[in-house]
Amino acid sequence: MDTRLEEKVIAGEEKAEPEKNLSKIKQIKKRLSKSMDAKKPDLDESYYMASQWQLMGRRFKKHKLAKYSLIVLGLFYFGALFAGFLAPQGLVSYDAKFTNCPPTKIHFIDDQGKFHLTPFVYAIKSERDPETYRKGFIEDKSKIYPIRFFSRSVEYKFWGLIKTDIHLFNVEDPGKIFLFGTDSMGRDLYSRILHGSRISLSVGFVGVFISLILGIIIGGISGYFGGLTDTVIQRIIEILRSFPTIPLWMALSAAIPPEIPVVHMYFYITIILSFLGWTTLARVVRSKFMSMKEEDYIMAARVAGCSTTRIIASHMVPGFMSYIIINMTLAIPQMIIAETSLSFLGLGIRSPATSWGVLLQEAQQIQNVALYPWLLIPLLFVVVTVLSFNFLGDGLRDAADPYK
Amino acid sequence: MFEYILKRFLIMIPTVIIISIISFWVIQLPPGDFVSTYAAQAAQEGEVLDTAELREMREVYGLNDSFFTQYRKWISGIIFRGDFGFSFQWNKKVSDLIMSRMGLTLMVSLTTMLFTYLVSIPIGIYGATHQYSFGDYLTAFIGFIGTATPNFLLAIICMYFAFRYFGSPMMGLFSPEFAHAPWSIAKFFDLMKHMIIPIVVIGTAGTCGLIRVMRGQLLDEIKKQYVITARAKGVGEKTLLYKYPVRASLNPIVSTIGWSLTAIFSGSTITAIVLNLPTQGPLLYGALLSQDMYLAGGLLFILTTLTVIGTLLSDVLLAWLDPRIRLGKDEA
Amino acid sequence: MKKVFVLLLLMISSTALLLATGQQGEVETAVESGNEWNEAPMLHEMVVAGDLPALDQRIPKEPMIEDVIDEIGQYGGDLNLAWKGLGDKWRMGNISVECLFRFTPDGTGLIPNVAKGYDVNSDATEYIIYLREGMKWSDGEDFDADDVLFYWEHMLIPGTFGKKLYNCYYSVDPESGDKVRAEVEKIDQYSVKITHAYPFPLFLERVTIDNKWFFAPEHYYRTILPEFIGEEKALQIANDKGFNDIKSMGKWTGYYYWVWPDRPTVRPWVAKNSPDEAQVIWERNPYYFKTDALGNQLPYIDRLVIDRVEEENNRDLKAIAGEIDIHDVASVEKYPLLMENGERGDFRVVKWMEPQTHGVALNQTVEDPALRELFQNMNFRSGLSLAINREEINDIVYDGWGESRQASMSKGMANYSERWANKLTAYDTDKAAKFFDEANLNWDADKKYRTFADGSDLTLILYYNSTDGSHVEKSMELIKSYWDAVGIKTVVKGVDRTLFDEMKYNNQLQASTNNFNVFNVALRPDVVVPLRVLTEWSGFYGLHTSTDGAEGVAPEGDVAALLENWGNLTSATSKEEIAKYGDEIMALHEKNLWMIGYVGNMPKLWVVQNSLRNFPEGLYQTDETRNIGAANPSQFFFKQ
Repeated sequence: MDTRLEEKVIAGEEKAEPEKNLSKIKQIKKRLSKSMDAKKPDLDESYYMASQWQLMGRRFKKHKLAKYSLIVLGLFYFGALFAGFLAPQGLVSYDAKFTNCPPTKIHFIDDQGKFHLTPFVYAIKSERDPETYRKGFIEDKSKIYPIRFFSRSVEYKFWGLIKTDIHLFNVEDPGKIFLFGTDSMGRDLYSRILHGSRISLSVGFVGVFISLILGIIIGGISGYFGGLTDTVIQRIIEILRSFPTIPLWMALSAAIPPEIPVVHMYFYITIILSFLGWTTLARVVRSKFMSMKEEDYIMAARVAGCSTTRIIASHMVPGFMSYIIINMTLAIPQMIIAETSLSFLGLGIRSPATSWGVLLQEAQQIQNVALYPWLLIPLLFVVVTVLSFNFLGDGLRDAADPYK
Repeated sequence: MFEYILKRFLIMIPTVIIISIISFWVIQLPPGDFVSTYAAQAAQEGEVLDTAELREMREVYGLNDSFFTQYRKWISGIIFRGDFGFSFQWNKKVSDLIMSRMGLTLMVSLTTMLFTYLVSIPIGIYGATHQYSFGDYLTAFIGFIGTATPNFLLAIICMYFAFRYFGSPMMGLFSPEFAHAPWSIAKFFDLMKHMIIPIVVIGTAGTCGLIRVMRGQLLDEIKKQYVITARAKGVGEKTLLYKYPVRASLNPIVSTIGWSLTAIFSGSTITAIVLNLPTQGPLLYGALLSQDMYLAGGLLFILTTLTVIGTLLSDVLLAWLDPRIRLGKDEA
Repeated sequence: MKKVFVLLLLMISSTALLLATGQQGEVETAVESGNEWNEAPMLHEMVVAGDLPALDQRIPKEPMIEDVIDEIGQYGGDLNLAWKGLGDKWRMGNISVECLFRFTPDGTGLIPNVAKGYDVNSDATEYIIYLREGMKWSDGEDFDADDVLFYWEHMLIPGTFGKKLYNCYYSVDPESGDKVRAEVEKIDQYSVKITHAYPFPLFLERVTIDNKWFFAPEHYYRTILPEFIGEEKALQIANDKGFNDIKSMGKWTGYYYWVWPDRPTVRPWVAKNSPDEAQVIWERNPYYFKTDALGNQLPYIDRLVIDRVEEENNRDLKAIAGEIDIHDVASVEKYPLLMENGERGDFRVVKWMEPQTHGVALNQTVEDPALRELFQNMNFRSGLSLAINREEINDIVYDGWGESRQASMSKGMANYSERWANKLTAYDTDKAAKFFDEANLNWDADKKYRTFADGSDLTLILYYNSTDGSHVEKSMELIKSYWDAVGIKTVVKGVDRTLFDEMKYNNQLQASTNNFNVFNVALRPDVVVPLRVLTEWSGFYGLHTSTDGAEGVAPEGDVAALLENWGNLTSATSKEEIAKYGDEIMALHEKNLWMIGYVGNMPKLWVVQNSLRNFPEGLYQTDETRNIGAANPSQFFFKQ
């Protein structure tokens, strides 16, 4: 029997008989085949001819969750890129009449039971409760505002270059469409989330990337060379690690002149954060290096005359690729969280510029948690982003695993 | 081994000194000093201090001295007399302040750390051995929620729910009736009730990372040759798992355990502030904000010493756990 | 005859019956509220056991009688509060404050408090303050004129608690403007005479604001001041008490004394444990000198239990959970949240009023000469004022709770004028543009932003204190958008509180927040008269005054007129003259609008447990009336 048939037989036996009835040998065989299964690829020409990346690509596609995560992240980044177009409102669309308004309901069928081809929203009426002074918003079913696509609204600069005022969708004045409701100043939360994603999604990347490069290089050098280099680098790491970050942030915040754009300031702070953040990765890389240094294949490479860089780059690094990937996918959400912490301490982005961190910080009020819970929607976005990055990391790790 | 520890120990001393100088300097980086913070705060309470008073305060607190004089006075106080100086803000000795909060800080931090490790490691092992199963995804999901949500937001949401459905936001560590009462079973239970939210908030943030790392590492190890060999030899699944792969996977976790010492000590500052826990974290934060030099300096000094000790501990543990490193050292 | 006799009998018996029941009614009320012993049960027990002297030996012969707010109260209960710790000491200071005199709620007159009364001679140079005979400190020692004299001689003059002698003790020579210190002497055990060289009509009012109390426990200080026991021993005691040196001991026990457990006071409650514990307890002062209208010794409430809670969100949460009995709410936007939870937490929301106006101002002594000229130009300020959409700020930031108004006095206070409150408050961008044209501002090439007459760039940097709360941040954001809309390019920068103050003291501010918060110009002029660097609009003018011309910028024009009027006011010899100069100062402000207000008269919200009574409504929240102190907290009680 060829191996594939053998597998099927074993598999069939598995399904047919409950495990506990299998004899001991069969059990061992089953477990062996389980671990060997993974090692049994499709044995055709294309497999042997495929490059490393193609192999990775194929294996990646098998991981369903990773695939979906990639799609989701792609959507988010797309949203960030085209935020101006996709959002019906800008960042400064204050509206006193609609402060703390819950999300607008979209309808297809109106009160009379008539079906509309284009979705629509009703006008919103606000009433103040005389006792609690709370604004209540109810639909005014007498006025219908169909959602218009490619409508004209607030002017903005597309990618900072082209001035235009076309948005993906909007409703005609005085109708309002608040997909995720509004905040305490009447600004559309959906628009703010989109605009905020530009900062949150991009800056995390940059910071983590810097930490990564620094961590691998320095950690690798430290672990590989050992001795004095190692000691010195370790001490530097300790010094950096014990740095009190809060006064550093305060000092920075004070030293930055007011005229520079807020986003620039944020980049400065992120770079500082990543400068302090690479230490964890460096230490782990170092410990891995130290244990791998003694592996046979490294010794073989050394004996064969490979240069140090080549040894580190092509032999050792793939060895702990998995750990790096996990670390990186965990680091991006950590950066996002770090940004929210900065905002919490009052040192990050300020209104009207927005990031998810700012939105979360604004939600950090008892009355928001209690009365206006839609303000917590940015939290969902953060969580989904984090999940997606993590599943993506999983998929990449599985795909790139050299041991398979 | 012993030689190694001794060498590291000796190197520790100049490291700590350099760190202490830098910390002392960074504390004073933000503009102004303790007196200006004090004046600003007083002004907010409706009390206006004039320049003469401020000048005098600066004299009394020694803020007019040069940086090095101040540093010298401070560090010599610590090294020769064990005197960490005086907190301007609290008007008490720094050592008193730190000690008074030490017990509760240790308790909170150790409990949450215990929770984190006890929960993460088994889940990580489960995830690795039952890869792609429903349980794997479920635990991943829960872990991520914990890490993805900023602690302060999670804390306030938890407190609000506690208020809504249990009638009390469970703030701080004790209910008002027990704050001054002597220790008793009832007081202990009250404490445990109040510990739930901190453990959930602080713990979940840590579990995610640990779970993923444990899982990832173990997955790597399981696929290795020696595991397959052992399985072929007929070694039981459980022994197979715990004798070698788990030990090896603990490698990266151990190398960061040393740094948990500082986390233990400062007890997750932001969460503690939000939850009103009387631990060291908020103490340090307040000291740094108001530039209360000696309190901030003292706490930082302790923190840095702990970091350095922690690093040493990690390295020793690493060497002990992973024979390859040990051997490597001997050869070198 | 028989008829008359029976009638008489009936009349007498019915009268007797009526009297009897009437009396019984009285007895019943005395038992329900207050009680028949006129003192707290816990104190009465101690009296009976012989641990405490009887009531009539603890309170003065003529105690201070507090008027009834709602009803006579009942004894008992713990008042649960929250504070931030020692950084929040005034919160506890205000709730327990006792001064010689205190202000009437509208700020125009004085009521005797610790003092029994006073006499003043016709030209306001001699004041006699009468103390209460039989009054005692919280440890049972006598409170008398010796305590005032001691405070004057050994604490005020030598500045043992870190403050130099207050301005209120100096009378001013109308000719030369020289300040001459008053003389204080003891007339008898319960009277003190203060003699001024020159007429000083507002002396007692000034004392009530500046020095507040004006007494200290002599017997206590003789045991700790170095003057009496020597430096070494004093230092030893300071260290024992946990202080670093004698000066801090002096400051903390002499000025912020209410937080320390062993320092005797005359306040209704006395600290029982150290202020840096997580929970601080204050207990009733058995020698408190006030009673209610029926002669029951106050306070009604037995203890204050104060938890340390640092975050505002936490305090709010504790308040709506009903764990704090009195909570002062930081901002009006929490109102719906409070009202929705009133039942669950068993509390009510009480509204007071903050008689101040939030505003912005331009630093009149800003360093850049072009900016300075522009800022000092009334046309520019007028334009900026008209460009602000006050209604919108009120709606968006304050949910419509405040009033859109100009920076001016509030109704119910002296110098209120409707005309001033409405000056230039309309939202009129066309008129604003005209004012900017009058101020010689041009437009840039795109006609988007205004420039100086010579075409150079004009950018306003609007600073605010980032620790002030989100409503300031939002208001500044809105104001920026309004000023941008009329062509004044504005950049908003929030800075840390300490940095904000640093910049203020170094004349580095440009445009910034500047609240108009004045109680009475004659008593506390700092916001409107540049006597020192304090208020954002007056910048270094204040430094010039406080250093007698050595540093700073010399005031000119109307600013100089302010100082001149103030000088006249301090040396005025009658209350009418004082009022006249006060009016002049306010008129100058109305004319110049150095502070541009947008929204004011915000309600001050309190969360009060339903069972807590005698909490007054509608008072003004000012620092001079000691915020919550104005409610006379010794009268609070829990209805059982």
